[in-house]
Amino acid sequence: MAPAALPAGAFPLPGKEGMTNAASVPQRRRPGRDGALAEWADRRLKWLLAAPAILLILALSLYPLLFSIWVSFINYDFTVPGHAFVGLKNFQQVIGDPVARWSLVVTLILSSASVVTEFLLGLALALAMVKPFRGRGVAMSVIIVPLFISPVIVGQAWALLLQRPFGPTNYLLGKLLGMDVTISWLTQTPWNFIALVVADAWQWTPFMFVILLAGLTSIPQHIYEAAELDGVEWLDTFIFITVPHLAPMMLLAVTFRLLDAVKLFDTIFMLTGGGPGTMTYSSSFYLYTVGFQQFHLSQATAGSWIFLAMTAIVIGVLVRRLMRVEAAR
Amino acid sequence: MDERAKRDFQAGLSAEVDAFLRGEPTRREFIRRFGEMAGMIALSSGAVPLFAQDALAQAAVDLADPGTPLGKAQAAALKASTEGPADGSAFRAVQAAKKYKGVTLSMTYEAGLQALDPRNFSGPVWEQLTGIKSNVVELSHPDQYSKPIAEHIANSGAYDILDIEPAWTPAMADGGVIQPLDDYIAKFMNTADFDDYHPIFKALPTYKGKVWGFFDDGDMFALYYRKDIFEDPKLKDAYQKKFNKPLAPPATWEDYSQVAQFITDQMAPNVYGAAHFRKASAPGNQYDFLQQYRANGGVFFNDKMKAQLDSAAGIKTFQNMLAANKASIPGNNELDAVSVWVAWLQGKVAMIYSWPPTGRMSANYSQSAKAINFVPQSAIAGKVGYALVPGNPELAVGYNKALAADSANPEAAYLFMQWATSPPVSLARCMLPYSLRDPYRLSHYNSSLYQSLWPDAKAYLANLANSANNGLLDMIMPGWQDYALSVDRMCTAVWAGTDPKAALQTASAEWDQVTERLGADSQKAFYAEYLKLPGSSASNTVEKLGKGVKID
Amino acid sequence: MRKASRRRRRPFGRFVLIGLWLLFVLAPLYWMFITSIKPSDDYLANPPVWFPSHPTLVHYTAALFAYRGFQGLINSLIISSAATLVSTVVGTLMAYSLARFNTGGGHLSFWVLSQRFLPPVATVLPLFLIYRSLGLHDTRTGLVIAYAVFTLPVTVWMMLAYFRQLPPSLEEAALVDGCSRWRAFWAVAVPLAAPGIVAAMVFAFIACWTEFFFALILTSRNAFTLPTVFRAFLGFQGAQYGEASALAMVSLAPSIVLGTLAQKHLVRGLTLGAVRG
Repeated sequence: MAPAALPAGAFPLPGKEGMTNAASVPQRRRPGRDGALAEWADRRLKWLLAAPAILLILALSLYPLLFSIWVSFINYDFTVPGHAFVGLKNFQQVIGDPVARWSLVVTLILSSASVVTEFLLGLALALAMVKPFRGRGVAMSVIIVPLFISPVIVGQAWALLLQRPFGPTNYLLGKLLGMDVTISWLTQTPWNFIALVVADAWQWTPFMFVILLAGLTSIPQHIYEAAELDGVEWLDTFIFITVPHLAPMMLLAVTFRLLDAVKLFDTIFMLTGGGPGTMTYSSSFYLYTVGFQQFHLSQATAGSWIFLAMTAIVIGVLVRRLMRVEAAR
Repeated sequence: MDERAKRDFQAGLSAEVDAFLRGEPTRREFIRRFGEMAGMIALSSGAVPLFAQDALAQAAVDLADPGTPLGKAQAAALKASTEGPADGSAFRAVQAAKKYKGVTLSMTYEAGLQALDPRNFSGPVWEQLTGIKSNVVELSHPDQYSKPIAEHIANSGAYDILDIEPAWTPAMADGGVIQPLDDYIAKFMNTADFDDYHPIFKALPTYKGKVWGFFDDGDMFALYYRKDIFEDPKLKDAYQKKFNKPLAPPATWEDYSQVAQFITDQMAPNVYGAAHFRKASAPGNQYDFLQQYRANGGVFFNDKMKAQLDSAAGIKTFQNMLAANKASIPGNNELDAVSVWVAWLQGKVAMIYSWPPTGRMSANYSQSAKAINFVPQSAIAGKVGYALVPGNPELAVGYNKALAADSANPEAAYLFMQWATSPPVSLARCMLPYSLRDPYRLSHYNSSLYQSLWPDAKAYLANLANSANNGLLDMIMPGWQDYALSVDRMCTAVWAGTDPKAALQTASAEWDQVTERLGADSQKAFYAEYLKLPGSSASNTVEKLGKGVKID
Repeated sequence: MRKASRRRRRPFGRFVLIGLWLLFVLAPLYWMFITSIKPSDDYLANPPVWFPSHPTLVHYTAALFAYRGFQGLINSLIISSAATLVSTVVGTLMAYSLARFNTGGGHLSFWVLSQRFLPPVATVLPLFLIYRSLGLHDTRTGLVIAYAVFTLPVTVWMMLAYFRQLPPSLEEAALVDGCSRWRAFWAVAVPLAAPGIVAAMVFAFIACWTEFFFALILTSRNAFTLPTVFRAFLGFQGAQYGEASALAMVSLAPSIVLGTLAQKHLVRGLTLGAVRG
């Protein structure tokens, strides 16, 4: 069985460990069992294994890729006839659109706030749950349920809770705080941002929680026992033992969650509709509005590529970080 | 079902229809068979499982007792379709369509309540009459625009009949998504039916000189107010003393906020003066703004096609709307049409202006159908008065039936459209309690059957007709989607505290961008065409043109 | 972490945290449940109705049958399961190749991951066009293929990390004994990787089950999935809160079952290095 206590970097870029020497192990083949075809297959195995995935992806992504590149440079707009070549005009339209620029800010604010919140809460929960106790299994099941719920439903549920004048939130808050609460959670800044972060955290904190918990349980106990024997304070234990071991996991969880958080759409769609005005337009929501409601497809596609470039840069930075952490061990 | 079973089924169904027309109570059997036909439940051995009975009962057509007004209207519709008059559109459509027996027509509808009409009534009845099946494709409102376009781009021929907003006609016609109906009209229709439309609705489906659809839903804002509150002697006294005017349904928007504020001051928190649908993307803001803006003398574009929102009229409109917000129920800025209805029906609000189903819901007529279970029972039935919206009301949204350009069976599809919108059939459809289709024909407003649905129904219909007389049209031009979106965003920004002037400027800039994208010159031509339609501005409403319809 | 033996550092602190969090998780679910059984008069009432005096099942029957939520549920189950299966199988194969043989250098694995970067708006229309011309539009098969591709980054990535962490000694032993490389993979590596495969399947299933945008565009009357049914509840003159909540409740059932099954394996699978760390 694989020893669980091997902490290491997580990002699946080629590292030295785990790569087999299979290619270099001389093989003694059982005589007569396998024919020439099987031998050929065996030699080319690595490509045969990878082939189905590659073919599937190519089949479904090649045409859309080429199509979307083509569309970015022509006029593909339902309201304006013709597919004339327009050079960089679509990109300029996006860059020059104040709503697009604001949506970047919104995406930044919401995704970082969400990821940070989810990370902290997830970490706290993981720390709390790492020691077994009675009923932990049930608690775990409940905690990860939100992950399985469609974001549209999550948005709907929170909209029902937060809306005025019929939602129960203000009523409850009023009772708790003893004064009338008249916050418009869905239309008043900054409360609408808070509402969006809360709804997102409700759904995705379990994601962080699961990954961090897995990381925590893989830290070997004897390190802690040694620290305890040495009389190390809890906080120091945390900072100097837990965090370094957990660092790759943390980075991994944050990276993956960030990759999805920047595409935030469903909760905004259900809770605020992008409003008030364009205050809560995330980039995804902006692209959806332009591309699918207004049918300015070329502009939306150009915007998507710009967005992709930015995402790739951010993810690239994070990945390099991850690799450095990995190399440092 | 195999052939034999099918034949038995058809024979049985015919017997049922005859029995129904004779007035015999065979409702349960009838419903069951229609349920089978509509494919809503899978019958294994003919026994309807209990849970499905419930579902069926919920959504089932209230093929009403022939003694009720609705039952009579339905019977009349069937009669017109099967017996004549021989030159009527309904009869001619059915006759001509019989040769398409066995064809299936795909029709898009808004999901939910709107779709109950073709699923439970018009679809099954049409199949019974002609043998043509209907396949109802339920879409959310925005998808009713985007999906037909996507399908058209793919050349799929997936839809035959499209339910679209009249304001989408230019975009869809130019985009080749829908096709004109003039040839079919000449061949099959009793053109006198066009004159049966209220004048404001008549010209709506016309564009570039052709007819692109049949108008099918008389959406028109009207003011609904609580008679009991307005007639309360103490309130009347207090109002008279304070403002030196009688307490009455307001005639101007300034009056409106004044009355609403007064009622709120006097009666909160039990009753508030007003409630509005202000939520982002819940359609509402753009219609409300545009109706008040034009009533205040605002115009959309100048002769150079520059947006004119940033004007005195715009500022005045926002002043009035903000004052109205202040006087409204708490949480006003998050309400959509449904929550406004809920507040209204629970008796919490003294005035609302909204779409015509308001009247039917207030009278508890709609709620008699189990399918309308998202609004409560009306606590105010009998206490509701009807009036004109101050200034001019907006024809907000509406629906046209349009013919998809890629349809594989255009003639059959057209014939269904003609049949469904013909006077007797459309009356029966508008009278369905769960229907969100509103009256739009003179024969609807004048129908004694409709007028007998509840005690004040006649006044309600008269008010709708009068509202249409003074009504204003949505902008029927290419780019409407984009212009409307800008207005919606502008409004929600102002509700959240943005300075109105800044918001108006932003919206104007966005409008100019849209115009430029589409080509200022062609937009100018379209705008000129639009201005010719009755109802495009406050100075050429149907009333001002002298063609107002009076219901006696 | 927290040593129960030594200084009692607020041992119930964590229980308070867990308790609060559970409350936070359950509250919206409870409210949705209540909304789904309230008669319409109750659910937009002020002050809020905490438990209706006349609960009703009418929203469930409407959502499941009149709005065909049941069919959506079945479609979602079938499509998500099939796509997960395909994706896991194909992904595991590729991950093994990447892990053991470094196929394609680092570029191939990054390319697979990058499939997740592009926002759906850019790819949805061309995909729609392809499907229309191939006759895959509004078919379950079509959506299965799309979802399988769409979840490949998840399965490949998870299994890749898992395999890399798995020491090759056992496979090498098998090779020395005369097994073909395929055998080494199939008979040795895969059984060892079972917990990781479970973890990958769970995440892939979640991704398919909750996906909305592609389902919206690529399906219509026949192959529509559960998330798309929710869109139907948002009419501009008729928002069906009761029905939406009822359907949400129904869709929770398979989620809860899966979650309960998965949670045991999830941590174990992730612990054993599926997600490295």
